Amino acid sequence: MGPSYFCTNRVAVVICLLLLNPAAVFAGEDNEDLIWQLTELKQQIQRLQQTSEQQINTLKQRLEELEVISFKNARVALAVSTAVPARTENSGLRIGLSGLFAAGGSSADNDKLENLQGGAHDPGQNGFTVQNVELSVGGTVDPYFDAQANIIFQINADGETVVELEEAFLITRSMPWGLQVKGGQYFTEFGRQNPQHPHTWSFVDQPVVLSRFFGGDGLRSQGARISWLMPLGWYSELKLGMQNPKGETATSFLNVPQEEIAGHALIDRDVRNFDDLLYTARWFNGFDPLDTLSMNVGFSGLWGPNASGLTTDTKIYGTDLYMKWQPIYTQRGFPFVSWHTEILNRRYEAGDWGDHSRETLDDWGLFTQVLWGFKPGWVAGLRWEYVSANDDNPDNASDPLRDTRKRLSPNLTWYPTEYSKLRLQYNRDWTEHLPDKTAHSFWLQLEFNLGSHAAHVF
Amino acid sequence: MNNYNISLGLLLLMVALNGHATLSVVTTTQDLAALTEMVGGERVKVQSLTQGTRDPHYAAAKPSMIRKVFRADLLLVIGADMEIGWLQPLLQSARNARVQPGNPGYLDLSNVVPLLGKISGPVSRAMGDVHAKGNPHYWLDPRNGIRMAQAIATRLGQLDPAHKEEYQQRLNAFAKAMDSKLQTWLTELAYLEGKPFIAYHKSFIYLADVFGFHIVDEVEPKPGIAPSAASLNSLVMHIQNDDIGILIMEPYYERRSARYLSEQTGIRVAVLPQSVGAQPDINTYFDLFDAIVAALNDAGEK
Repeated sequence: MGPSYFCTNRVAVVICLLLLNPAAVFAGEDNEDLIWQLTELKQQIQRLQQTSEQQINTLKQRLEELEVISFKNARVALAVSTAVPARTENSGLRIGLSGLFAAGGSSADNDKLENLQGGAHDPGQNGFTVQNVELSVGGTVDPYFDAQANIIFQINADGETVVELEEAFLITRSMPWGLQVKGGQYFTEFGRQNPQHPHTWSFVDQPVVLSRFFGGDGLRSQGARISWLMPLGWYSELKLGMQNPKGETATSFLNVPQEEIAGHALIDRDVRNFDDLLYTARWFNGFDPLDTLSMNVGFSGLWGPNASGLTTDTKIYGTDLYMKWQPIYTQRGFPFVSWHTEILNRRYEAGDWGDHSRETLDDWGLFTQVLWGFKPGWVAGLRWEYVSANDDNPDNASDPLRDTRKRLSPNLTWYPTEYSKLRLQYNRDWTEHLPDKTAHSFWLQLEFNLGSHAAHVF
Repeated sequence: MNNYNISLGLLLLMVALNGHATLSVVTTTQDLAALTEMVGGERVKVQSLTQGTRDPHYAAAKPSMIRKVFRADLLLVIGADMEIGWLQPLLQSARNARVQPGNPGYLDLSNVVPLLGKISGPVSRAMGDVHAKGNPHYWLDPRNGIRMAQAIATRLGQLDPAHKEEYQQRLNAFAKAMDSKLQTWLTELAYLEGKPFIAYHKSFIYLADVFGFHIVDEVEPKPGIAPSAASLNSLVMHIQNDDIGILIMEPYYERRSARYLSEQTGIRVAVLPQSVGAQPDINTYFDLFDAIVAALNDAGEK
């Protein structure tokens, strides 16, 4: 359209020039001059014709190209350029409700089960347990932040409903230099298991070492952390944070006044300065050594005050390894074999300097678990746990929070779809504090997920 | 000497600029990667997050994937809920503003093709794994391949205006080649037009649409739900009553159900690669349809 308009215009200008210059045309006196002018005009018109022909040819070519794309063939009638109306999707909010229930029994009675099943979301009584009903709301706030909140509902051993704000945090979406900041109330990113929600666990209960060091609800608190995705040849992420060390979800730190650890009563200690905050660090690495094998290796550390004195501190270190193998061909993500191991050590300064009962409580523990997804929807698991105290406190063996414990847990899980699961688990406990030194438990677990599709986090 | 130094410096500069000019494109599937390589040529470096041998719906946001998205200039996704389980955690962890939805570095290809199988009535999970937004296996129609290539070329041209013409030329060459290829495939498979088929999963409706066969039933009683003995037996009845000759399925599904149906009814099973990379010899989008057509012919001509 443009070129042809351009051509007509140029021809019109020439004609106008001719009309506007009658003297030159009709003078008749100087024929040579007139002939020269005419020749000039002819040449101009020829040049114009040439350029317009060239332009027309280019246009023709483009049209041909377009025809190729728009398929004149009847069988392939849909024109490629057919405008498909862009759908507007409001994926701004994800809302989900997950329910986790257990039923079962143990050779230990309910009083003993309280210590045996130390996790607040473990099946903790003979009969039925509402382990965790979790309302999760998350989404994108604006171009800068995502946010998420998880509110949990539980029915405790006395039959009363308990509501907890498990997590509520903001997380940046696109800070420069590979940085990301998270702030609010959140699970401390220590190891692989601690930040996972109960409904994503591979076993019905929390590993003993985590219940022991982090309390029944896991380690979570208010704070902020910064993460840096380092520019290295593999995935390597460093996370540093600060959190409030107070409350029952910070068990190894300030915890709750009047609680006890190895005979040391906890005082009401507050955060007075930066030294009294809980400092968290994690270095997390991910690799794919093979097309069929992925692995993560992490190192975590915690440094914070504890309330057994005014100047006492706790340090916890841990390392975690996760490997997953999947063959080249998989159906619905099956089959697979995964292996997850964590080892933790805690040094707890109990009592101030000068206190005659001052000691350093040195505990450690590990769990290692293998999962085998042998056919779509079916997973067999086996977990081995060991926890113990390294120091020579004579009361360790009778202290349910510091004795030597071993636990072996085979289980079988069936996922009818991505939204439900049914799990049967057997626990064999060997534990020093029990009179029988051993216990057998069977648990059946049921889970449902309503609402938003669950995230597949590796 | 001086001259030599200057030319060496220029050469290095050119290499550096050239290296810089390469766009890093990350795709969620190998089909998208193959199309991008077709229109991007050596101007782009393409990496797929999942392999064609696996169902992309069941992937997880692995650290290696996060790292790729972190460094990407352009992220191409299938959309229509295909990556619903892992795209959101991936984008959150990748902290890359360029490829966040709404920015030029994010392209959802389900927006440029006419989706089939949209559900207009009420949708419930009791119906199985249904996709209300439409069936996400749209790359299995070569016409959609051209639409996708066109959208990719346009987006590459926006992100790298210096080579816009080049992307357009490559697109035209690809579309031309695809057009003539499609004629061949259509002629070869003309005898399948109107024939009833059975599919394992609801993932071949686009293929049926372009080649004109009808998928009348699925091995899965509901999308994503494994067949039971009872559902297989009622399928045997259906196959015999309607004289259904071909069962099509992806390589990654279990083969026992298909074998059982084949033994009971004589139905022929065509294992169709559903994606680039689903078999070792399928490296391009053309290879994919060559292999599909060959597998359909093997089953159809017997």
